[in-house]
Amino acid sequence: MIPALAPPRSVYVHVPFCRHRCGYCDFSLLAGRDDLFERYFLAMACELKRVPLPLALDTLYLGGGTPSHLGPAGLRRLFNLLHGPLVPVGTAEITMEANPSDVTGPLAALAKGFGVTRFSLGAQSLDAATLRSLDRDHSPDDVRQATATLLGAGLSVSVDLLIAAPGQSLAAVEQDLEAVIALGVQHVSVYCLTWEKGTQFDALRAQGILSVADESIERAMFEATIDRLEAAGFEHYEVSNFARPGFRCRHNEAYWDCRPWEAFGPGAARYDGRERITNHRSTTGWMTRVLEGQDFTGDRDAMTPEEAARERVVVGLRRRDGLDREEFRAASGLALDTIAGAAIVAWVADGLATDDGQRVRLTREGLLLSDALWQRVLTGRG
Amino acid sequence: MSIDSAHIRNFSIIAHIDHGKSTLADRLLERTGTVEKRQLKEQMLDDMELERQRGITIKARAVRMGYHYKGELYELNLIDTPGHVDFHYEVSRSLACCEGAVLLVDAFQGVEAQTVANAYAAINQNLTIVPVVNKIDLVHARVDEVLAEMEQSLAIDAAEVVLTSGKTGLGVDELLAAIIERVPAPTGDPNGVLRAMIFDSHYDSYRGAITYVRLVDGTIKRGQKVRFLETGTTHEVLEIGQFVPQRRACEELVAGQVGYLVCNIKDVKQVHIGDTVICPGDTIAAPLPGYKRPQRMVYCGLYPSEGENFEELRDSLEKLSINDPSFDYSPESSEALGFGFRCGFLGLLHMEIIQQRLEKEADLDLVQTAPNVTYQILKTDGTVLEITNPQDVPDSGQIDEFRQPIVRTNFLVPVEHIGPVMQLSTDRRGTYLKTEYLSPTRAMLTFDLPLADVIYDLHDKLKSVTRGYGTMDYELIGYMPADLVRLDILVGGKNVDALSIICDRRDADRRGRSIVKKLRSEIDRHMFEIALQAAIGTKVIARETISAMRKNVTAKCYGGDISRKKKLWAKQKEGKKRMKSIGSVDIPQKAFMAVLDTGVDRA
Repeated sequence: MIPALAPPRSVYVHVPFCRHRCGYCDFSLLAGRDDLFERYFLAMACELKRVPLPLALDTLYLGGGTPSHLGPAGLRRLFNLLHGPLVPVGTAEITMEANPSDVTGPLAALAKGFGVTRFSLGAQSLDAATLRSLDRDHSPDDVRQATATLLGAGLSVSVDLLIAAPGQSLAAVEQDLEAVIALGVQHVSVYCLTWEKGTQFDALRAQGILSVADESIERAMFEATIDRLEAAGFEHYEVSNFARPGFRCRHNEAYWDCRPWEAFGPGAARYDGRERITNHRSTTGWMTRVLEGQDFTGDRDAMTPEEAARERVVVGLRRRDGLDREEFRAASGLALDTIAGAAIVAWVADGLATDDGQRVRLTREGLLLSDALWQRVLTGRG
Repeated sequence: MSIDSAHIRNFSIIAHIDHGKSTLADRLLERTGTVEKRQLKEQMLDDMELERQRGITIKARAVRMGYHYKGELYELNLIDTPGHVDFHYEVSRSLACCEGAVLLVDAFQGVEAQTVANAYAAINQNLTIVPVVNKIDLVHARVDEVLAEMEQSLAIDAAEVVLTSGKTGLGVDELLAAIIERVPAPTGDPNGVLRAMIFDSHYDSYRGAITYVRLVDGTIKRGQKVRFLETGTTHEVLEIGQFVPQRRACEELVAGQVGYLVCNIKDVKQVHIGDTVICPGDTIAAPLPGYKRPQRMVYCGLYPSEGENFEELRDSLEKLSINDPSFDYSPESSEALGFGFRCGFLGLLHMEIIQQRLEKEADLDLVQTAPNVTYQILKTDGTVLEITNPQDVPDSGQIDEFRQPIVRTNFLVPVEHIGPVMQLSTDRRGTYLKTEYLSPTRAMLTFDLPLADVIYDLHDKLKSVTRGYGTMDYELIGYMPADLVRLDILVGGKNVDALSIICDRRDADRRGRSIVKKLRSEIDRHMFEIALQAAIGTKVIARETISAMRKNVTAKCYGGDISRKKKLWAKQKEGKKRMKSIGSVDIPQKAFMAVLDTGVDRA
């Protein structure tokens, strides 16, 4: 039986502008094209018309790109567009991504005035050398100042940290962790640098100018991250995410619960419970298509209930809480053991997962190697 | 349109590979008006796709050409032969249907190993040889030297050699004249008791088996009944005809002629190559001397990547064997690979061809184990075991004598490469027999070598140490006792039966080391450490370790990432093709071939 489609209660809005593109970034964005803001707002207004009735929201997430790069005027313009079609409930979590150097008292006040409850800061590091190697244009002090400003304004703060940067040592990662903990933020996301195809970093790697960290060192860095942040009172609740109790990112949890969500902007992906539809990835392509009334969707990923359930296993097990058999059946209509029973038994035997009969969780070892587990789950072999 | 046998000539063209046989055959078809120039596809007779692709002839062909010579019409039957050593037996089959053979030698390459081998095969069958030096239009042609080589190696009188160019058509008339003048007419009696030799067959999905015959005595008419002497079956002849080169039906075939029969035979297995066709009830017709059955020299296991495709593989093998009775297969099971088939081939090229055809025509994903030759074991109880799979080697206590096939191998090489070829052969424990000089610059070296050491890579090695100029050919002379052992390979502590090999005890250390090393580079890292060991019995002689995967986890998996990441995770699936899971280790197809690595440094 296919569960009835519920209306989405989460919305993602993609802001595709940055001051410049960092060497490791392959996101859908335009650097140094502030002249296109206006056209972007027009297209956004147009795409928002896809929503016939105002949507009541539990979470709203402005990501990018760099939403803060729009500046106070631009942000005001964007929030005014969203206002109307989107109606966050009183307790809604509204997150906005920001560059540390963009954050000022007035910006924080303005955001707060539009209901923003949470900032996600693209800090990446608190070490000047690492920031330079990552092509970032802010200093460690910019991060400290931005954090203090936001926390002082009563906003919740998440900080992005990047590890295994070119040339970064384990000691440097440990120092960064201490510095991040000292910021007093509620949430930290830690990402191992991914060498995406087509990025400048990837080209430099191919030329032998940058080198990829050894897998063992990367693992040591990641384990140090988990150990240090947990010791400091953060819960490791998803592969890359750490939160003080009560401060998990509710928006991202909607993704990992496979709840439906809406999304607007270039490259933004929405999910109605059966199909994930991704908008045209190029910003200019999306704007032209939207404004000329053409089809602006890119990929479509339609899933059978079984395929959706397989996906649910993967995104669910990437969370440290793992999967609860009853919840899984209630949400997917299928039994977890029908979908992945044999795999789970094998993982438990290999020490990659634990299973108390009700809940299945990956062990740390399982989590660290988890990409190697998913093929079996997704293809349904075994 | 009955023809008297005095006007029939049956001949083959024999040559070393690449000496221009197919091109010259095309010229003959064209010159005799059998095929018009505009219809002529390159290399008309090589009509299997694989043959065209590789520029080699695999199956024997027969084509009838009409030619007016000195005012009289002659029927020339060309029976084409394969050049590769794997298909030697097809050559001998073709030759048995002929009275003459055109021996073709490249004007630049000169006499090569298969020139000698095929020439001797023809001479042994008492065929009249029409020697030809081909490609004389080449800028680098060295006709006089090549003539000297032919005289030296094959005792051919240079005055009898016809000079041709398949490319320009030069000398083709002279060659046709020489065939008619020199090759004897067939001697059979058209009014005698019917005897025809079956020399090939192929399967036509509309007509069933097409049986290729050479009439030795008597006459076959359409509509009559015939009996296959060996199989003991009787059939009605629905159609008879000749290949021109397509099938062309006629009313009768008489002694000396070459053609085909269509008898509504649905199973090609009823057509035994080498069988004799007679009239039913005819008790006095003696069977013609048949052929030596083709000997399967190389065996390997073929397993479906997905176990459930076993039946499909069986069907495909059966279909292929219909057209190629020279390979055989029988079901076997391996602890590591599940259910599959042990397949016997004439040689490695043959094996490669069959595997390619299976994948192409049947779209099957196969895992193939490394090929091995057939061994013999004399057991202590006096019985002799044929070993086609290393797993069947009994305990050493039961073995009295372990024997391996030995081949007499001729190398034809420029004299400056004699040293490296000697080295190559002695490294493989060859027994040196002799050196003959074909000319001041070329020599033929003869060794007895273990077949196992010849088939895998000796040809490649020979080409590399002689800069491409050396050629080789070999024939089986028998089985000889040797100090052989079974070398087992353990992956993660588990003996993987499909990786076992048989080798000389003195080579075991070197082979073992190189195999586990090769495996280490072929098997991906897993979530756990994998030990790779080579062992004789319980004694481990080499070990390598594949260290465990340390970290493999996607960092970002948010809304827009999920579809893309999911594809990446599932994409590993493609890499899994031709992969077998043994225990919890995924072993790629290439790894099964790693055991062929001899560990002898590349020369």
